Amino acid sequence: MSAAAPLERIAAAHAEVAPRLAGGAAWVRRRARALERLLAAGLPDRRDENWKYLDHARLASYPFESMALAATAVQIPALPPLPLAGRRLTLINGRFEPALCDAPEPGVDLTDLAALLARAPESALALLREPDEDPDDRFALLADAFAGSGALIRVQTGTAPALPLCLTHVAAGENPAAHHARLVIELGAGAQLLLVERFVGAGAAAVLGNLAAEIRLGPKASLTHLRLHEHSAAAAQIETWTVRQEAGSRYEQHLLATGGALLRSNLRLALEGEAAECRLFGLFAADAGRQVDLSTRVDHLGAATRTEQEYRGVAADRGRGSFNGRIVVHASARGADAMQASRNLLLSPLAAIDARPQLEIDTEEVRCRHGATVGSLDEHQLFYLRARGVPEAAARALLTWAFCAGLIGRLPLPALRAAAAERFAGALPDRALLGGLH
Amino acid sequence: MSDAGRPILEVRELSVRAGGRLILDRLSLAVRAGEVHAIMGPNGSGKSTLTGVLAGRPGLEVVGGSASYLGRDLLAMAPEERAREGLFLAFQYPVEIPGVNNIYLLKASLNALRRHRGLPELDAFEFLGLVREKLAAMQMDESLLNRGVNEGFSGGEKKRNEILQMSLLEPVLALLDETDSGLDIDALKVVAAGVNALRGPERAMVVVTHYQRLLDHVVPDRVHVLAEGRIVKSGGRELALELEARGYDWLRTGTAAA
Repeated sequence: MSAAAPLERIAAAHAEVAPRLAGGAAWVRRRARALERLLAAGLPDRRDENWKYLDHARLASYPFESMALAATAVQIPALPPLPLAGRRLTLINGRFEPALCDAPEPGVDLTDLAALLARAPESALALLREPDEDPDDRFALLADAFAGSGALIRVQTGTAPALPLCLTHVAAGENPAAHHARLVIELGAGAQLLLVERFVGAGAAAVLGNLAAEIRLGPKASLTHLRLHEHSAAAAQIETWTVRQEAGSRYEQHLLATGGALLRSNLRLALEGEAAECRLFGLFAADAGRQVDLSTRVDHLGAATRTEQEYRGVAADRGRGSFNGRIVVHASARGADAMQASRNLLLSPLAAIDARPQLEIDTEEVRCRHGATVGSLDEHQLFYLRARGVPEAAARALLTWAFCAGLIGRLPLPALRAAAAERFAGALPDRALLGGLH
Repeated sequence: MSDAGRPILEVRELSVRAGGRLILDRLSLAVRAGEVHAIMGPNGSGKSTLTGVLAGRPGLEVVGGSASYLGRDLLAMAPEERAREGLFLAFQYPVEIPGVNNIYLLKASLNALRRHRGLPELDAFEFLGLVREKLAAMQMDESLLNRGVNEGFSGGEKKRNEILQMSLLEPVLALLDETDSGLDIDALKVVAAGVNALRGPERAMVVVTHYQRLLDHVVPDRVHVLAEGRIVKSGGRELALELEARGYDWLRTGTAAA
């Protein structure tokens, strides 16, 4: 590990890597501007309200200076099977990997961002959002400074592919490295997509993945987005998602985080059009010293917009979790309906979870509820199970499972529920005792 | 049966504290196989603490005395061990456990007991057949099996579910904690029939109740009156009728005088 501060290491890596990235003069300027802004603003730290729970020292120990370059040949690892049949799209260290992509269904376009940068750099400029001044956007700025790889997913107006799209992010390679990727997902009016996205790692190296992604949903478009974080044990992931929704569109996300050493996820969602609706569900298991730090912000801008949000976290051993959830109902959002809940379970005295739900309402005629709980297993439930002959360890595992099952039960397809149950039970203590449950 | 009359439970001079207060004060009770004992007493007399300490409820501190179950030190056993040895507590307030299916718990507990007794586990088919038969006897809807344990059950459904579990697990010693409370007369009859079906020379029951009406249907061999943490009077079935007629006050003054 370098002793130099992350910003210095980022600047050094940029000087070395940026000249080799595609996109011509326009992108040289764009990346330089992003780097300059990042160096001036700095990475977020403890003083930033939304970043106070993150283990910044741990994050700084990751190799910001070592880029996983396109030129470096990487052994393509064997991937775990998909949770259900679908068309594949695979990014290895952020790079579009044609050998692991299927031909998309009619009405769906999959584009390699590196190829687009080389072919039409000017149109790529307009396509990729420039990050703003919000501290939550700093890592997007970092991704912008190294913009060179990623993918674009477009579902054309009125199209509803029969199969889900399975997007796999693979962290590969033997050496510690950082990689930056961009993702753009656009659904035209009335388009529908089930996107199953998973993050997997193939190695023990300390890999930092930095993903900046944006989703744009046209009028009445509907995206169901399952996100499985199954990074390898030493990996860290930072991600910045922005979602913009037009009238009558629907976005449903299920985040299931069971892997990696550190996950920081920023989700910023704008319900711009009338009656746009989002449903956000998140479930994480933080054990063995893992940290999961989730931050979400939903802006209700259009009238009669709706949010339903429920996040649950389980922390065991020395695991750390946090949830910063902010919902802002603007003056224009008459008739908005927002529900936010954060429920958290601590399984050990050394585990910790911080939950901060925040609601800001600038208009009348809205319905908003929020709440957060952090607690341990219910002693009455535990005694009840033991009084029925269930051994204590099994009773604890069962109640922990029951806590998680409430969210897994919300997944859209039985196959996904079964796969998620399998994966999630696998991250819980005493998993063997859960057998036969589903 | 040869088991009849063997000692099942022997509580000697048991004192229990909870929340900084002495709740049971040198209580003694002996129950033999084949017997049904009723424990009656006013609110706050220690009835639920007695069943709780026998089943291993946390938060109760034994400060004196002993309890033996089938010749073993009951108080040294973990709650699950007591259950596997055939002790069953029908809860006064059965807890709701969303996310754990009722049928999953029934199967898990039955198989835990069967393994402990050296019996093979039931397969899914045998198990379901057995559960359906018990459900019918308790006049319970089969849909309750696939709900979370007690989740959204009415008060009466919760109590029936307790007796359903009991009839499935066939305990050696059943402790019924105010099983009659909150039941209408029809439900009371169904629950009482479930309890009576389990009576037998090899089993014993301790029925805790505030009112006499359950004892019209589950006729006890012995009745004990609990007041201020001690058994202040014991007798036959007629004692319950006397309590019904006279209330508890005459006994309370009796203790104070003693």
